[in-house]
Amino acid sequence: MAKYKIADTVFEILTVSDYTQHLCKDFLVEDLKAEHTIKTTVEEVREEMKKEPNFPGVYIESLVVFRRLCDYLLQKKKGIIFHSSAIIVNGEAYLFTAPSGTGKSTHARLWRELLKEKAVMLNDDKPLIRQIGNQFIAYGSPWNGKHKLGANVSAPIKAICVLEQAKENKITKISPKEMLPVVINQTMYPNNEEKVDKMLNLLDGLLKTVNLYKLQCNVSLESAELSFNVMSKGE
Amino acid sequence: MLKVKTGFILREVSETFIVLAVGERVKEFNGMITINETGAYLWKILEKGATAEDLVSALIEEYGIDKELAVKDVDAFVNKMKGAGLLE
Repeated sequence: MAKYKIADTVFEILTVSDYTQHLCKDFLVEDLKAEHTIKTTVEEVREEMKKEPNFPGVYIESLVVFRRLCDYLLQKKKGIIFHSSAIIVNGEAYLFTAPSGTGKSTHARLWRELLKEKAVMLNDDKPLIRQIGNQFIAYGSPWNGKHKLGANVSAPIKAICVLEQAKENKITKISPKEMLPVVINQTMYPNNEEKVDKMLNLLDGLLKTVNLYKLQCNVSLESAELSFNVMSKGE
Repeated sequence: MLKVKTGFILREVSETFIVLAVGERVKEFNGMITINETGAYLWKILEKGATAEDLVSALIEEYGIDKELAVKDVDAFVNKMKGAGLLE
């Protein structure tokens, strides 16, 4: 009976294959009571495999677990997944988001090159966010992208930045209104009205709480210097 | 008669009116569209069902604008809604 503490919530995860258990191993805990159990079945995984025939079943199963976990966090823990590359510097988390292929992982890599050991990779693909009091905390998760970058760490979110490819580097502060369509596309879309309202409430609070930026950038250390200098000062 | 399809909801978030899909509609409509305040007013009427003429009258009454402008606004809004597949 394997238990994992993910986004400060203890889950018991029971799966058909060992793949998900292996994926989650950095989040393993003992001596803690599970708050919620996620159990998958062969039938359910087979059903999901029909929708995504190009992926192996064990991977599909891990996504089924992830979806259930996100669903629980949304319903009970003021939590959402936010598709982004998240990095911690000086105890604060910075989240880079963009449509797939724009280069969020690349920009996070440039920050690591620039800041060396000062930069800790939180999660390169699917960090989780929870509202705790008035703060929004980003948590690492076992689902950390194709480069497997991330750790079992957490930090309050300082800023969210949407990336656009450009020749010249330029960073602009943007409003919650401008960021809203971006964040809605980067979270998991719930399947009923009550959950949609929970998601919107969280996003609304998040956008009002953290600094928001748009970075037009090329792939260079200068782009990372620019974004880090502006975002870390909260300018 | 124009009417909003079931499964589409209007919400106000971050000072923005947005339309989202719920339930089975999510499969055909991903993400969101934003509408302005006038659009949100018309949407609420369209949830119950109305003709284009009803919408024009409602706009004139609510905003005190002349008929020509109201017809133009209603046309633009209805076309946007139809284009996005939100109306029956």
